[in-house]
Amino acid sequence: MTSDMDVHVQQVISQVPGADPKKVEEAFIRYEKDFLVPPEDAFRSVLRRFQSDLGEVKPASGGASPASSALPNRKVNRFSELKGDDRNIEIEVKITTHNPRIQMIRGEEKQIAFGTLEDLPWAEGEGDRWEYKDWGQNQNLSPGAIVRLEGVSVNEYQGKMSLNINQSSRIVVLQEGSRDVVNPSEPVSISTIKDEGMVTVVGRVLASREDVIHRKDGSGTLDVVRGRIGDDSGVIGFLSWEPFTHEVGSLIKIQHAQVRSFRNTPELNIGRSTKVEVYRDTSFASLDDLSLLTVSKIEDLTDGNRDVECVVEVQNILVRTFNKEGGEEGKVWSGEIADPTGRCRMSSWQEPPFTESDLPVIVKITGARVRAWQGIPDITVDTAEQMEILSSPPWEKELDLSENVVDVQLNALTSGASRVGISTTGTVVSIRDDSGIIRRCTECKRVLRDGACATHGEQDGVEDVRLRMVLDDGSATLSLIVNRDACLGLLNSTEDEIKDRISADGQVVFVQSLRERMLGRNLTAVGRTIVDEQGAMLLAESCVLEEVDTVLLAAELRQHWGVA
Amino acid sequence: MVITRRSPRQPAWHMLASEFGESSLHEKGSGEFDPSFVITKLGAKVNRLIVAGLIERLEPRETANGSTLYQGQLRDPSGLHYFSVGDYATETMREMVIDLAARIESGESLMLLMVAKARWFQNEEGSVYTSLRPEEACIISPSVYREWLAKACEQTLIRLDAQQKAASLESNRASLAEAGIPEHLIDGLILAKPHYGEFDSEMYRFNIMQALDIIENKDVIREKPPAKAETVEPESANSGDSGASSDESDLKQTLLELIDALDQGEGVDFDTLLSNAAARGHERDDAEAMLDELSDGGEVHEPRFGWFKRT
Repeated sequence: MTSDMDVHVQQVISQVPGADPKKVEEAFIRYEKDFLVPPEDAFRSVLRRFQSDLGEVKPASGGASPASSALPNRKVNRFSELKGDDRNIEIEVKITTHNPRIQMIRGEEKQIAFGTLEDLPWAEGEGDRWEYKDWGQNQNLSPGAIVRLEGVSVNEYQGKMSLNINQSSRIVVLQEGSRDVVNPSEPVSISTIKDEGMVTVVGRVLASREDVIHRKDGSGTLDVVRGRIGDDSGVIGFLSWEPFTHEVGSLIKIQHAQVRSFRNTPELNIGRSTKVEVYRDTSFASLDDLSLLTVSKIEDLTDGNRDVECVVEVQNILVRTFNKEGGEEGKVWSGEIADPTGRCRMSSWQEPPFTESDLPVIVKITGARVRAWQGIPDITVDTAEQMEILSSPPWEKELDLSENVVDVQLNALTSGASRVGISTTGTVVSIRDDSGIIRRCTECKRVLRDGACATHGEQDGVEDVRLRMVLDDGSATLSLIVNRDACLGLLNSTEDEIKDRISADGQVVFVQSLRERMLGRNLTAVGRTIVDEQGAMLLAESCVLEEVDTVLLAAELRQHWGVA
Repeated sequence: MVITRRSPRQPAWHMLASEFGESSLHEKGSGEFDPSFVITKLGAKVNRLIVAGLIERLEPRETANGSTLYQGQLRDPSGLHYFSVGDYATETMREMVIDLAARIESGESLMLLMVAKARWFQNEEGSVYTSLRPEEACIISPSVYREWLAKACEQTLIRLDAQQKAASLESNRASLAEAGIPEHLIDGLILAKPHYGEFDSEMYRFNIMQALDIIENKDVIREKPPAKAETVEPESANSGDSGASSDESDLKQTLLELIDALDQGEGVDFDTLLSNAAARGHERDDAEAMLDELSDGGEVHEPRFGWFKRT
């Protein structure tokens, strides 16, 4: 007990060297006995008393309350200097993320913010990153900003350290952030919703239907409402966990909805803390105007889209039968569809209102969902009513979509969804050493490694020709897989000739000869792409090396950039 | 949950030697698989480059651990790229470089195009040197060289334009994006601005003009390469295009400057002197001979064995 007390006394003495240890101890005892305040909690009060007794109160800095400045801030440069129980820290940091959120704290709604920050804000990229929580509703915290935090404390939880910015902390902005903090109570345009976080939107309900979510653990179901809401900038899907009774066409304001991404598609989540109310604005875009916006193009489709409306040309259709779980026979219709922006697949669980002999046919599809198989969007239709046959396409009739290939910039391919029927151009920056003759597994067609398939074991396999390359446009890269036909066309050679060359000169010399022919040159590839976390891959059906007229290009450069 | 996610492949920048050689800023990510970058004055955040030119020198060197490192230089209209191929390179690359070295040795002139990783090295005085580690390379024809030059010029012009625009803008993503600066240049420009400050980009424009001339005159190595950049170069610069006497006086000057700079009162030791001279492109043997000459001539004295001082 006494030794405990000694520690606190010593702490006070170290801050106020002139104080009498006896009197300090008496003060602590008095707090403990009379006010039932243990020494650790009484520390500040005792310290303040002796500081003021001896006239050592430091002038309060800025608007901070005297209480918080009683203990002088300890200045540190790095997080590594901090311990789990440090308080009143002063440090310069760079805010890297900032997410405001409403949280219920002791039955009270409070806006707090959480995010990450880095120390050594002036040194580029050398800082450590910590998480923080802002309890003070500070409006001047924004991503990218460099700030000096005064009077913040360290929080250690399960060995993980973070910073607490308290209500009494002071924030001095040293360099403005790159983006304004979005106040989660101010409405934003729907098209700007990209990142997860909390938003308020004003929009018209475009679709709404009840749905049921089956809990994964089998413990029951949840009733939800799904739908879409739009403003003149765009459309977003919503999922309401609360009863949602606003009809299609009504204009509403949704406050504090949580944005979550499902398969890279942002979606508004309406929960308990979300407020939904009818909004009045006579100049707001009408339902008819907005429904034009909601028609999707194939190039925009991504895995996870819901309530999709689009107009497509169905090019072929096949029916497959399968056995349902109960042994019952089920049917699914699937086929290829196209619009001027690209091609993809569709599936229908009911018989479509057209047959193979009607093809090609223009169909308006509504309320569909998008799944992706090998990255290629598949528009899934559950009932025949979702398909309506149109007499003429909304695009020019002459457009022959069956052979339509859409030119897409390389960097647009790598950042978007997987696409079919595209062509793109880039510089060949790599030709992989395993390009040339390969052997594939007879069962799964995968490439054999050391004469064996990973799943089907050792075998001779089937011979095939294939090139692996990397295309690059200076800002993005794409791995390019060239199939047999495209490969023979590109090399202007037959499979036997290639085999002869490899057996005569060896694989290394063969691949090197490919580099001498193609490395650094422009190549245009036609095919389909698969985009996933691994990056983008183009499966090419045909490839051509581009001849560049360098003299013409030089003249163009001189003209365009004014190089004499 | 993927914990260690590898970054996607970094794009290759078409870049003339002068822009890469003058870079002194680098950035290394904190994660295991984070790529590292060299950031050029024009704001290119370079992890990988595609370069081309005439091989000027390609020689094997024994390294401390007994392996062989091939070091070479690639000349384009703007200057030299330095590259090295060591044990870490692919077998194809190593075999190729042995073959190339033999052909250079026998007097052949070869144009090479390579896709390479950007490397940087900082010496004790804080100077940063950049070099390349080729991943894939091939001998090219003059027409492919012209194509590469044209692309390098175009890319450099786009960077020059973006850098000029960015100079007068607030250094943040929003204002740069608003000014129409391409997305892939924004990060690098924001990092480059405080580091390099203001500089004269006229040399880059001049380099582009030279390159465009080469494309149009259909004459690949038309004239003597321009004078070497002022920046000191990390590797031997026995390029053979400057006379022996100028090399000698340059070496003499370098040694005297080094002694001035490094002398803490008791002189500079032999090893420090020679390795610093080597870092500035002088062969150890040459530097040793020159040091003898300076001692004999009385410009330098040896207060104790192996320590040199200006007289």
